[in-house]
Amino acid sequence: MARILVVGNGDLISADCRVVLEAKGYQLIFCSELSAAVGVILEDPPDLLIVERGFKGDSDLRLVKVAGSCLQKAFMPILLVVHDSMLPLDWSLFPVDDILRIPFSPEVLLTRLQLAESRMVRLFDNNPLSKLPGNTSIIKAITRVLDSGDRYGVCYVDIDNFKPYNDRYGFSQGDEVILMVARLIVNTVEEIARDGSFVGHVGGDDFVFVVKRDMVDQVCRKILSNFSVVRNIFISPEDLKVGAFIGQDRLGRDTKFELLSISIAVVCTEDNNFKHYGEVSASASQLKSFVKKKSGNNYMIDRRGSYHPVSIPRSDNKDHS
Amino acid sequence: MLDEKKDGFRKALREINNLPTLPGIVSKLTKMAEDPDTTTEQMGKVISKDHILAAKLLKLVNSAFYGFPQRISSLDSAIILLGFNVIKSLIISASIFEFMEEQDVELWEHSLGCAVVCSVLAKRLGVSDPEEVSTAGLIHDIGKVAIKMELPKENEMIGQLVTERQISRYEAEQEVLGLQHAEVGGWLAKSWNLPGKLVEPISCHHDPRLAKNEQLASAIVHFSDIVIRGLGYGHADDIWVPPLSQRAWRLLDISPEDLDQVLDEIEEKLWDVKGFSLEIQANTDGAVTS
Repeated sequence: MARILVVGNGDLISADCRVVLEAKGYQLIFCSELSAAVGVILEDPPDLLIVERGFKGDSDLRLVKVAGSCLQKAFMPILLVVHDSMLPLDWSLFPVDDILRIPFSPEVLLTRLQLAESRMVRLFDNNPLSKLPGNTSIIKAITRVLDSGDRYGVCYVDIDNFKPYNDRYGFSQGDEVILMVARLIVNTVEEIARDGSFVGHVGGDDFVFVVKRDMVDQVCRKILSNFSVVRNIFISPEDLKVGAFIGQDRLGRDTKFELLSISIAVVCTEDNNFKHYGEVSASASQLKSFVKKKSGNNYMIDRRGSYHPVSIPRSDNKDHS
Repeated sequence: MLDEKKDGFRKALREINNLPTLPGIVSKLTKMAEDPDTTTEQMGKVISKDHILAAKLLKLVNSAFYGFPQRISSLDSAIILLGFNVIKSLIISASIFEFMEEQDVELWEHSLGCAVVCSVLAKRLGVSDPEEVSTAGLIHDIGKVAIKMELPKENEMIGQLVTERQISRYEAEQEVLGLQHAEVGGWLAKSWNLPGKLVEPISCHHDPRLAKNEQLASAIVHFSDIVIRGLGYGHADDIWVPPLSQRAWRLLDISPEDLDQVLDEIEEKLWDVKGFSLEIQANTDGAVTS
């Protein structure tokens, strides 16, 4: 049943409210310290968050930002508890989903929570594994950058030799690899190119991210170099020693496969004068077939029909000195 | 020792979820997090110098929610997978020692020093992932912090026994609690879903014979703990240098000439660590007076 984190002063949720919520099967967790609340969000994220406006100075704002900035948890509805006298608030500073006006009855509280939950389900276009936005959002994001007229790179990522890897290591470890790549992309984009960016999960081992054109190289390089640091954790010592593994190709014949690597095909919006997102994806799939032919971690940028491949040297031997 | 009492200690220790960190480290990291030019790697470097934050980071990345249970033993990978925002939040969630004693700083220095020795030895012995062994060395005494926080009364009794009877801390823990910090650290690491490659060297660092799968890593952490104590770098709340396991020594197979070279290399690396330690302590003093 849903877990609700309640952050604020002790009497934020009245005894009546508590009884009603617990009778409905909600589990309540109370925190009155910012550090403890952040700890819960990080280590065991709740399904819903209720925060009191003005609790401990600007702790409410800081907490809401933490909840929003850990992207994987961006789908946790947040309710801000306010007095009428605190309104209006600048909602661009407070990325919350709804407000609760003091005083509120148990019925109102319950209704708001149920509404927030059902709204989440309705709006959910996200991949269940990576929690990243899916195709509807991807199309929207690409259309947005095409309409903007600014220079963006639309980057299609996929994992090389993923199918034979899945056959050899099993689905659950395959899922871990997908999750790992999702985190790498999100974390890198968030760190170096946050403004105007977007990350989505097409499905399986295919991802798309959109960043400003002048950030493309830096982001791609970083994703590929981080991948080469983390990848070996997901490969058995035997396969690492050989540097390859034997699996079966699509026709069931024994074939030698290289270890996992990443290919990124980048299509630049402005240079190509695209009108529709379909043209972007068509151009990308053409480019993808080129970049995937090269072994190892690579990205390739399409500039007005000419391809510029970039290989990243492999760093299999880690040395941290 | 009554089993019931021992079970009570076990239960208390198992329920720990937030171990305190040195204020100097947290204030340094807070400052870094506020600076827009700070990179994830820079913060990672500082976190890899603190046994508590490093343990928290590993606990987080190996938790069911993040999706890599018992998989991640390297701090570099943990930092890449968690990302800047989560690391920043981890700093906000960090708890700080309310009353910091000299021993807390000593134990931190001991842990950091042990990690340095582990890294030098692991590279010298050609271990496939030296960083992993160094991480195990960094968090090997996490059980001591847990005992101090959760069982303060017993911890005081242990301290008294050590001074009065001039016995090792390990023996005193055994006498007061019926268990000792290596075992406690091992359970914690296990309950945090850390990989076996880290759990065994922690739980076996006083008796590497107990190691089943990670014998070499356990022997390296065991020997490094002794070396760093022998060098007089951070006293880890113990008056004695722990005894060396013959079997571990044979397993390491280091010649006296090699050992001389290794010690030179260690001494050199410890200079950097000492500089960092002074910086952190200066930061701490500032934090207390301001």
